[in-house]
Amino acid sequence: MITVEGLTKTYGGFRAVDDVSFVAQPGRVTGFLGPNGAGKTTTMRIMVGLTPPTQGRVTIGGHAYQDIPNPGRHVGVLLDASAQHAGRTGREVLTIGARTMGLPDSRVDEILEMVSLTPAEAKRRVRNYSLGMRQRLGVAHALLGDPSVLILDEPANGLDPAGIRWMRGLLKGYADRGGTVLLSSHLLHEVEQIADEMILIGRGRIVAQGDKKTLLSGQAASSLVTSLDNDALARALSAAGHSASPAGEGLRVDCETAEVGRAALAAGVVLTDLRSGAAGLEDLFLELTADTQREGHPAAATAQGGAA
Amino acid sequence: MSTTTPPVQPAAPSGSLDISSTPPVPFGRLVRVELRKSLDTRAGRWFAGSIVALCLAIVLITAFAAPDAAQDLGFFLTVSGSTLGYFLPILLILMVTSEWSQRTGLVTFTLEPHRARVVGAKFCAGLLLGLGLIVLAFAIGALGNVIAGGDWEVETGLLVNGFLVANLIGIVLGFAIGMLLMNSPAAIVAYFIYTLVLPIAVGILGAFQEWFADLAPWIEFNTAQASLFEGDAVPTGEELGQLLVSGFIWLVVPFAVGLWRLLRAEPK
Repeated sequence: MITVEGLTKTYGGFRAVDDVSFVAQPGRVTGFLGPNGAGKTTTMRIMVGLTPPTQGRVTIGGHAYQDIPNPGRHVGVLLDASAQHAGRTGREVLTIGARTMGLPDSRVDEILEMVSLTPAEAKRRVRNYSLGMRQRLGVAHALLGDPSVLILDEPANGLDPAGIRWMRGLLKGYADRGGTVLLSSHLLHEVEQIADEMILIGRGRIVAQGDKKTLLSGQAASSLVTSLDNDALARALSAAGHSASPAGEGLRVDCETAEVGRAALAAGVVLTDLRSGAAGLEDLFLELTADTQREGHPAAATAQGGAA
Repeated sequence: MSTTTPPVQPAAPSGSLDISSTPPVPFGRLVRVELRKSLDTRAGRWFAGSIVALCLAIVLITAFAAPDAAQDLGFFLTVSGSTLGYFLPILLILMVTSEWSQRTGLVTFTLEPHRARVVGAKFCAGLLLGLGLIVLAFAIGALGNVIAGGDWEVETGLLVNGFLVANLIGIVLGFAIGMLLMNSPAAIVAYFIYTLVLPIAVGILGAFQEWFADLAPWIEFNTAQASLFEGDAVPTGEELGQLLVSGFIWLVVPFAVGLWRLLRAEPK
């Protein structure tokens, strides 16, 4: 369990992390989500004692990180997969980790197999690794000491779709066996699929937290519909008291999909596509972090299926 | 993955970590790991190997080229030892700075959050590596003497001061510069300025101003170290004083400030 209490970090006048508090529970994957520069990495660096906090504290399983003896055996950390000596082989990177933690060298082979790095790949120097391979190596390093807590900064960055699916399975399985997983990402879809619990952070502050359902409750109902006769359908919907507006090749309607189906049935219009158009996490995320985004996000881009 | 999935330690219901049965990382293990890290890259191995090869080459050349009368064990140890002395500090510099330049500090200081222990282990590893090279340099010097058929004479003062102490000072100096700058190219440049440019500048200044020539050994460490290479002449009280004063300025202060910086720096 990771407990963050009132964490603040200022650099000069800049508040990189601003009064952040949350808990990452064992048995769950907690996603730490925010745009670039929102303070995710700084928070994680404070967790493992690389950066001293200005205020507040972090405990992992009830201890400050510095007080955990041989911390690699309890907390697996991946902060930056590229932060490895370019001249070392993948195997050597893991061997150094294993030796530091006092693990037998056979553990290195075990873990290489677990992250699907072949013996030939393990013999290559990290300089020649793709970003995806570095991520696998970094995850391998984090898992080396068989820890019960994992702290991973952007672990899916650079992975191909198969790699992302693999990572998802690995972390889910890990949490199901009682482990605590905290992972950060700026890619919502990644986190949405892996995380049981989400912490949304923007400009150093937590803007929302909870599971997906909690986060999305309170969002207005909306449907996206395409039919063979959109005009007729729009008229029927208006008659039923729902407002419909053109969206791409179809319509966006401010009601449940069932209502749209009913109106189409009554009007005898053939539907070719009908789905929920409720604002997803992405919209929520962009909305919550709107004032912290680098680009003002154009509304059209957030309306699902809007321009497509 | 079926056979290799990690058994996660069952966390207590409260989510607290049981750390009672985990001993801290022993210091000896940290030293062994640091020693391994200094030689496990092509760069590290080649650099250490090149220093030895260079000592060998220069000793062999002098064995054939220098006049016979000058050749004895003390002479060859001076040749071999001073060659080592130029490059040994760079090896130490790289041991420290690679944690920052190659960013491995992120991992190193996470696996052992008590940074002072890491620094201590690194220093011990550097000392061991340096002593190993000093022994090799001694063997190379002896080899040169065998080839040249020189006398097996060496003044104890030269052996201890010029060969051993001067190289140990180099080890500490390299470590201090590495900690102070935490950047490989900058630290190496600073080292060469210190060791090559500074003594020349001081020499030139001293040639024009007599008062500066008198002052130089007190404030310039290289100049002060000259007394270490004067054979059996044990450094006089004044020379010892100069060594201590200039050593404080160029060794103790950079070491202390570097250590202070390194213990507080945020590895990025």
